[in-house]
Order: sequence, then structure tokens, then C-alpha cells
Amino acid sequence: MENWKDFATLVTEHQSMVFSVALHFLRDRMAAEELAQDVFLQLHDALPGLETPDHVRFWLRRVTGHRCIDYIRRHKHDPLPLEDITEPSSPPHDIGDPMLRRRLQQVVASLPEKQRIVVILRFQEEMDMEEIARVLAMPLATVKSRLHRSLAVLREKLERVTGMSCV
Amino acid sequence: MNRLEEELKAALQREAPSEGFAGRVLARVAERDRQRQQSRRWFALPVLRWAVAAVIIVVAGGGFEYHKQVQERREGEQAKRQVMLALRITSAKLQEVQWKVQQLNRDREAREQ
Repeated sequence: MENWKDFATLVTEHQSMVFSVALHFLRDRMAAEELAQDVFLQLHDALPGLETPDHVRFWLRRVTGHRCIDYIRRHKHDPLPLEDITEPSSPPHDIGDPMLRRRLQQVVASLPEKQRIVVILRFQEEMDMEEIARVLAMPLATVKSRLHRSLAVLREKLERVTGMSCV
Repeated sequence: MNRLEEELKAALQREAPSEGFAGRVLARVAERDRQRQQSRRWFALPVLRWAVAAVIIVVAGGGFEYHKQVQERREGEQAKRQVMLALRITSAKLQEVQWKVQQLNRDREAREQ
């Protein structure tokens, strides 16, 4: 087996990526850890068929995305309603404000699952639209419209919650 | 990149899983491999192989016997239907002959008178 296929090394290298996609998607550390472990168990079986390190990264992103969507559907987690996001006593305004970040994570978690995964891959993984389309096996136009719609919703929700303008 | 996108990038930064994540994954892989090997080893036992073979033979034999019985019952019912049809035809013929004989008798009696 080639060096790059050393399973322990691959887990160490990709654990943050897989865990964070699941965490931002599910907003539940325990569930995210369990899902990430399941993804790596599946990788262990699939590894002989993967040809390059890039192929492994692509495979991990695709499987993690699909597993996140399946998890939500299986557990019937409704998106977090905006009403559950409490308004702060003083609205946060500064970039880098931890409270604002938490609120943004909550608002992302309130998006429908397919929009949510597009947003996470775009802003966590900094993937371009073509890559996201390939990973999620979606037409490019669908990815673009989902991202556009998500950003509009996020902007509107964030303005309602924090009172800040984020044009 | 506008402000919202910058904020999103900051909010969705990667986070490390809890300490020992890789170790827990490797332990689960090892446990799963051990279970798979155990089930393979269990099936490799000659007694189990013979038991599985015996079950297959019994099930296949039972199925064959059942099929045979169904086939025999179907043939028996068909034979019964054919016999009943033959009896109905014979009965109709006999009634016709009886009617003709009675007719002849009536004609003879009429002539004698």
C-alpha cells in the first residue's frame, strides 16, 4: 500500500475537516463526533478504491455531506427556528465578535439542509462553486442559486437578530 | 468578499474534534475487523458448515416434496373432472336410448290395438 494511504495519517490529516463539517451542520458535538467516526470507518473500507490524496479529500467531503443530510432526515431535526435564537441585550457589531459568530452558526443551522451544506462547503472549506457541484453531484446552476438564496436569507435573518447591516 | 461572507468564513472555521479522536477511530476499526474475523472464523467451523448444508438440504427437500404433492393433487382433480364429464355424456346417451325404446314400444302397442 502506498504511503499516503496510511489510514492513521489520513485520519489525523482530515479529522478537523470532517468533524467541522458535521459540527457546523448538526450543531451537536456528540453527534458530529459519531458521524465523523462513521465516515472514517467507511473510508477504511473504501480506501483500496481511492487513487490519489485529492480523491480521498473529495470522497471525504462528499460522504460527510451526504451523511449529514441523511442524519438530519433520519433524526427529523427541524431547522432551528429563528424565534429560538434569542436577541442579545446589546447587538454585536464588530467583526470577530464571538457572540456574532455563534449567532451566525445558529442561523446557518436554521437553513434547509441542502442550502446548509452548500454554505458550509463554501465558507468552511473555501471551495468554489464547481467543486461544490462535483462533491454534491448537483448542477452548477443549482449550487449557485442555493448559495445566492442562502446568503439572502442569512443577511435578512442576521439583520433581524442583531440589527446589524451586513451588505 | 462582503462583510457577511467574511463573518461566515470566521464563524465556520474548522474546529478540532476532542482529544484522542484518531485513537477512537482506530479502535473502532480494530474492533470491527475483529468482529468480522470472528464471524468468518465461526462460519469456517466444519460443524457449522455441515449444519448449514443440512438446513439447505431439508428446506430444498421439503420444497420439492410440497411441489410434488401440489402437482399430484392438481392431476387428481383434473382426472376427476374428466370422469365426471364422461359420466354426464354416458347418462345423456342412455336417456336418449331409453326414450327411443319407449317410443318404439308405444308405436307397437298402437299397431296391435
